[in-house]
Amino acid sequence: MLNAKAKQLKFDPPSSASSSASESDDRTDLNVPLYLDPIVKEDHNSITDYGCPASPITVPEKTSRSNSSDSNQIRLGPPRPGRRQRTTSINQKTTANPAESIIRSNNRTIYTAGRPPWYNCAGQQVEPFVIGICGGSASGKTTVAQKIIESLDVPWVTLLSMDCFYKILNEQQHEQSLANEYNFDHPDAFDIDLMLDVLTKLKEGRKVEVPIYNFITHSREVETKTMYGANVIIFEGILTFHSSEVLKLLDMKIFVDTDADIRLARRLKRDISQRGRDLEGVLKQYSTMVKPSYANYIAPTMVHADIIVPRGGENKVATKLVVQHVHTQLQLRGFKLREVLAHSYTNQPMPESLYLLPSTPQIKGLHTFIRNRHTSRDEFIFYSKRLIRLVIEYALSLFPFKESIVETPQGVSYTGRRMASKKICGVSILRAGETMEQAICDVCKDIRIGKILIQTNQTTDEPELYYLRLPKDIKDYKVILMDATVATGAAAMMAIRVLLDHDVPEENIILSSLLMAEIGVHSIAYAFPRVKIVTSALDPEINEKFYVIPGIGNFGDRYFGTEPADEYYA
Amino acid sequence: MCSGLSNNEETTDFGPNLKILTPNSQIQELQTIIRDKNTSRSDFKFYADRLIRLVIEESLNQLPYSDCHVETPTGAIYDGLKYRSGNCGVSIIRSGEAMEQGLRDCCRSIRIGKILVESDSDTHIARVVYARFPEDIDKRQVLLMYPIMSTGNTVLQSVNVLKEHGVPEQNIILSNLFCTPQAAKTLVRAFPKLKILTSELHTIAPNHFGQKYFGTD
Repeated sequence: MLNAKAKQLKFDPPSSASSSASESDDRTDLNVPLYLDPIVKEDHNSITDYGCPASPITVPEKTSRSNSSDSNQIRLGPPRPGRRQRTTSINQKTTANPAESIIRSNNRTIYTAGRPPWYNCAGQQVEPFVIGICGGSASGKTTVAQKIIESLDVPWVTLLSMDCFYKILNEQQHEQSLANEYNFDHPDAFDIDLMLDVLTKLKEGRKVEVPIYNFITHSREVETKTMYGANVIIFEGILTFHSSEVLKLLDMKIFVDTDADIRLARRLKRDISQRGRDLEGVLKQYSTMVKPSYANYIAPTMVHADIIVPRGGENKVATKLVVQHVHTQLQLRGFKLREVLAHSYTNQPMPESLYLLPSTPQIKGLHTFIRNRHTSRDEFIFYSKRLIRLVIEYALSLFPFKESIVETPQGVSYTGRRMASKKICGVSILRAGETMEQAICDVCKDIRIGKILIQTNQTTDEPELYYLRLPKDIKDYKVILMDATVATGAAAMMAIRVLLDHDVPEENIILSSLLMAEIGVHSIAYAFPRVKIVTSALDPEINEKFYVIPGIGNFGDRYFGTEPADEYYA
Repeated sequence: MCSGLSNNEETTDFGPNLKILTPNSQIQELQTIIRDKNTSRSDFKFYADRLIRLVIEESLNQLPYSDCHVETPTGAIYDGLKYRSGNCGVSIIRSGEAMEQGLRDCCRSIRIGKILVESDSDTHIARVVYARFPEDIDKRQVLLMYPIMSTGNTVLQSVNVLKEHGVPEQNIILSNLFCTPQAAKTLVRAFPKLKILTSELHTIAPNHFGQKYFGTD
């Protein structure tokens, strides 16, 4: 279904690690299947989702949400006219060329822009690469960041602006700001602790809620922006090098050094022509606050920089050098995960976290039907469903239960059991895992279902994450993670990693499948020993195409009827 | 564990043909919900259907099968097994009919016969007043469905009817949810070759099952 949809739609690249209101405007849930959108609250038009300048100035008149061709955002849709004004802090955008992210060959559509593994074969996170960009107001930091993102051509880049962390102003400070007397260029204007917290979590690969700062009310919006899953994080702002704690988190430090005259000229132009402010006010702010702050707090941090980029975004050579370095670093951290997974663990005893359904004649009989290549799809679906139901029932019995005494109509009390927690949710790994959703809905009333789309990259054979949508408070839930088959375990591991990044405790996850290969079980159990693994059958091998032997074939293809010609398996 | 569950000594008394669904917490929860008098009807039906499905699946395990080998889409051979055809279900009206859907969900086009047994309210003597079976029932494996057994009399009469129709005792599998030790004893004594599958052996049977399931309480 997703594939079919993607063919009809022009979708945004599946590279963005989060999204903003301006992006989600013209979308509905249905037509954004192919990119990661872990938005917590749907930002509707209620917020004006604008970025802000390095040195923010309140803009008196409200402008309509008008354009997208601003310098902070690389957008693939049709450009909207006019330059927008920023009233709230901008977080992040990423880029990828949609034309390059899809390859169609014969009947198969191949997506190349999913997120490759960001953890090693032990399931441990590998830190994303963090680039800090510092520089004076109007020095062109965002332009540099944008040029880097463009030339990097790596999906899953997060751009985090320091402006998100401005402190909430009290009434008096608010008055000052209206009179151009509040110093937004001073380190005290920023909530350094929050900034450190967000950046640390992002660096750990965890999901974070980033505040959205409103420069009209000088407070934080109720809505936050969810950021998750970046291979490269770019953190830009006027004082990014100020805190020594933050400095430690930066893998690469860039200082954009633009001549003071040019910066003043840009500010004058921007504030007067675009923001309708008067020359006197701008100059007053510049001379009393912006300039001294630059001299006192910003310029001295230049010593921390690894690279100083003169002339900002115009400096193509500098951008190129930066990009080269980042690429080298990423390659050093890169993985050939599946290869590693497929060749480890032979002849080891099965882990304790594996729960194999008792091998009854029925289960074996059902397997006989669904494994037989000559079984019609109608029968395949029917018998799969029966088997899935048994797997789900079994998985549920592994959750914690507590004793419960009930009154019976027969007048005697009965000591039984009830599940300790009612908070259970299902998460399916698309596409094959989706087939198990019906069964879990059949046994758990009103259960919440999350979805994670992971596809194998046809060129690298690595799993890649494309999409995820999870219940908001998933960390409080026991999770049944569903995938029909587990071969190397690469996709399941990615899904588990996603859940852990969303703060789901490892012991609250049950991975359930119809069929697993021994290798996959070992890999998952090694990386995540507290995840319970449930399957109705265990096969000994996988072939060079990473299919389980003897196996079922491609479960999703057979269930949904999208299987290619026979020779595909040969 | 359920406090009322008969101890092992007693269970083994019933011989190898009485099987109890391997108890796990999940099944115990279903039983608890079904027994709880504060369970709403909709919940009752929902959880009863789940338990029925599990009992039916387990009953099907008792059917005869033979080995077979199939080729998987990867070209490898899977050593599987194949059930023989020629099975049928028989439900005892009315609460046995609650289990028909569970059977249909597992075996789509299976033939289902019916038996109506009435018991005299004074003497508790049960007698069969209606029976309708597939014609060749004597050649089939029969899955007899009845969820609650307290005395076992109803099932006793039903099995007699089946035997009268030429079904060998060993070809009958009784699917049951709740069984009292008394009923189990009666049946095992009367039909030593009858296979019995239940989810719980407990001195008190939830006799409200049929009324609550069909909403006639």
